[in-house]
Amino acid sequence: MAAGPDAVRDETVEVWDSRLRLHVKVAGDGPPLLFFHPLSGLAWGPLLDRLAERHTVYAPEHPGTSPGDPQAIREVQTYWELLLIYTELAGKLGLERPVAIGQSFGGMVAADLAASFPRLFSALVLLSPLGLWRDDAPIPLMEMVSGPPSGVPNYLYAHPGSEAARAAQALPADPAQQAKAIAQATWNVGCTTKFAWPIADHGLGRRLHRVSVPTLVVWGREDALVPVAYAKEFGSRIAGSRVEVLDDCGHVVPVDQPERSWTAISRFLAG
Amino acid sequence: MKVSLFEQVPYRYLPEGFENQHSSVVTAPYDVVEPARMTESLFSAYAELMHGARAGFDGVCVTEHGQSAYDISPNPNLLASAVAYATQAEGLDVTITVLGRSLGKTREPLKIAEEYALLDCVSGGRLIAGFPVGLSYDANLNASLPAVETRERYREHRELILKAWSEPRPFPWNGRFEKYGQVNIWPRPVQQPHPPIWIPGTGSSGTLRDILQQDYVFVYLSWDGPKLTGRQVFDRYWELADELGRDRNPYRLAFLQVVAVSETDERAEREYARHLEAHYRSGLGAIPHTAMAVPGYAEPAAIEGMLRSTGPAGMLSRMKTATYAEIVDSQVAIVGSPATVADQIEAFVREFRIGNLLVMLQNGSMPRDLTEKNISLFAAEVLPRLRPVWDAEGWDNHWWPRAAAIEGAV
Repeated sequence: MAAGPDAVRDETVEVWDSRLRLHVKVAGDGPPLLFFHPLSGLAWGPLLDRLAERHTVYAPEHPGTSPGDPQAIREVQTYWELLLIYTELAGKLGLERPVAIGQSFGGMVAADLAASFPRLFSALVLLSPLGLWRDDAPIPLMEMVSGPPSGVPNYLYAHPGSEAARAAQALPADPAQQAKAIAQATWNVGCTTKFAWPIADHGLGRRLHRVSVPTLVVWGREDALVPVAYAKEFGSRIAGSRVEVLDDCGHVVPVDQPERSWTAISRFLAG
Repeated sequence: MKVSLFEQVPYRYLPEGFENQHSSVVTAPYDVVEPARMTESLFSAYAELMHGARAGFDGVCVTEHGQSAYDISPNPNLLASAVAYATQAEGLDVTITVLGRSLGKTREPLKIAEEYALLDCVSGGRLIAGFPVGLSYDANLNASLPAVETRERYREHRELILKAWSEPRPFPWNGRFEKYGQVNIWPRPVQQPHPPIWIPGTGSSGTLRDILQQDYVFVYLSWDGPKLTGRQVFDRYWELADELGRDRNPYRLAFLQVVAVSETDERAEREYARHLEAHYRSGLGAIPHTAMAVPGYAEPAAIEGMLRSTGPAGMLSRMKTATYAEIVDSQVAIVGSPATVADQIEAFVREFRIGNLLVMLQNGSMPRDLTEKNISLFAAEVLPRLRPVWDAEGWDNHWWPRAAAIEGAV
């Protein structure tokens, strides 16, 4: 049974010497799984529903991205503090070696936690993560974030006009709700890019060899934000990792290829 | 009333239709530039500032913008330094306002403390120090600093600069963004504890409150003209002043106005219309809206407010296709004979209680001879009408340099 949105509950966890109250969406039952969301914030979707069928999914909201608490981002001064805060969160939640899944920005965070704290997780899944940089494969993060909103889908989806892509970008029709949603989404990107600006390279490439848990890397071949060349970069730096490159798939893997990405993830988690 | 000549440094030969193909900032392609014409554009700006200083303006004023075609002034202190020296050498008691080095953008705040101090010394204490946050495109794209940190950097840098100016002994600075073992800058400002501080802004309540609390001057660089957005910002400013126990001294407020003056209204239109259109279309009109607020620069409540705003829409969103008629009707630029121009300016200055007026007299493609005519006519026939506007109320301008300016002149 899919958990469904009704079964998702909110928890708040006090961390960082009580200066931060992290909001965590929780659903499902089974071994723990931590999900780290992408640049735009947490949007609970079909992937998390499916994961919640076999795991207890914990999806923290990046500080500042929780509605009503925008200033929380001020309490996280550096990227290093962000990583430490997540280790505190895992401890407070009492998670024993959870699986970690990270998407895009969240993929960088998950990968760095696995590299920095090799015994934190039991397995790692990276969906087109940020975190590395190659001069011959520039990542147009600044161009996307500072460009017109109408251009954003071109960076994110293999087929920006597809129904799935449009649904993922949909805004409320009511003007007041729409303004609120745009303001929140814009601020969310401000909060995540604080640690990815202008180039999301905190030296992760020099630490990735420390990742010592089973790792799956999933990438879209048509990724227009983080080029597929980075799939190999992650794969070659993490010993024993498995890399799956999906055809006809852009940056947002779970939206562009929901079935094939789910097959890859579920097989990996089962195996 | 104090009236200063405000000058930006555009490349004056942008090709026709530039705004339809390019952004005027960040990614503006340099291959549209002819080197000789760049030299001429830059040289003209220096020359026009000096022309204004000699023509009798109370001050001259420059701004900072990086990677920009409409204001090629990556460090306004370079311009200000030349003017500080030349006016000192000629014995011209003209205030130099730098509006200024961006405190939210800089990676070297102590350089700003040193540069401003040097300007104040060379000019014999004629500096007004501008402390702008910096535009989002400049701080967050050009300098590539995280947008959400812009204002935190600004606050730390301002505190550090003020301390560096006034602390007699070397001191360590353990800031969040800056760490220094021994801060001990040379020189220090002639004006102690510091030169007058002016803060340009777009009028957010947080900025206005901060300015009034610190007893600085608010400089409204609206570009929208006094008609469209003036009332909401200025009324709020004076209401906040009442609330915070500050007087309604008009010298607490500075305003920038674009002006083009000629012998008659008809002649003014004939001479200036095309330059004004080109200026707004290829300059401000060609800055992508998204570059003015990179995500994180504005807080969610502010973004929501902008999206739901029902107030009068400013011209800013329509600059790319601005026509001469729109520019003049909205008072984005005030154009005409000396009498026409003086009437319009005097009316809004009195209405909004503006004690420090900045006038921008060069725009876009406007050549040097026409600009110098604009400067001369304004100084001779408009300025004398504006200068006494506040005399009857008898206010002191505490935010204007007081040092014996000419001391030590060559």
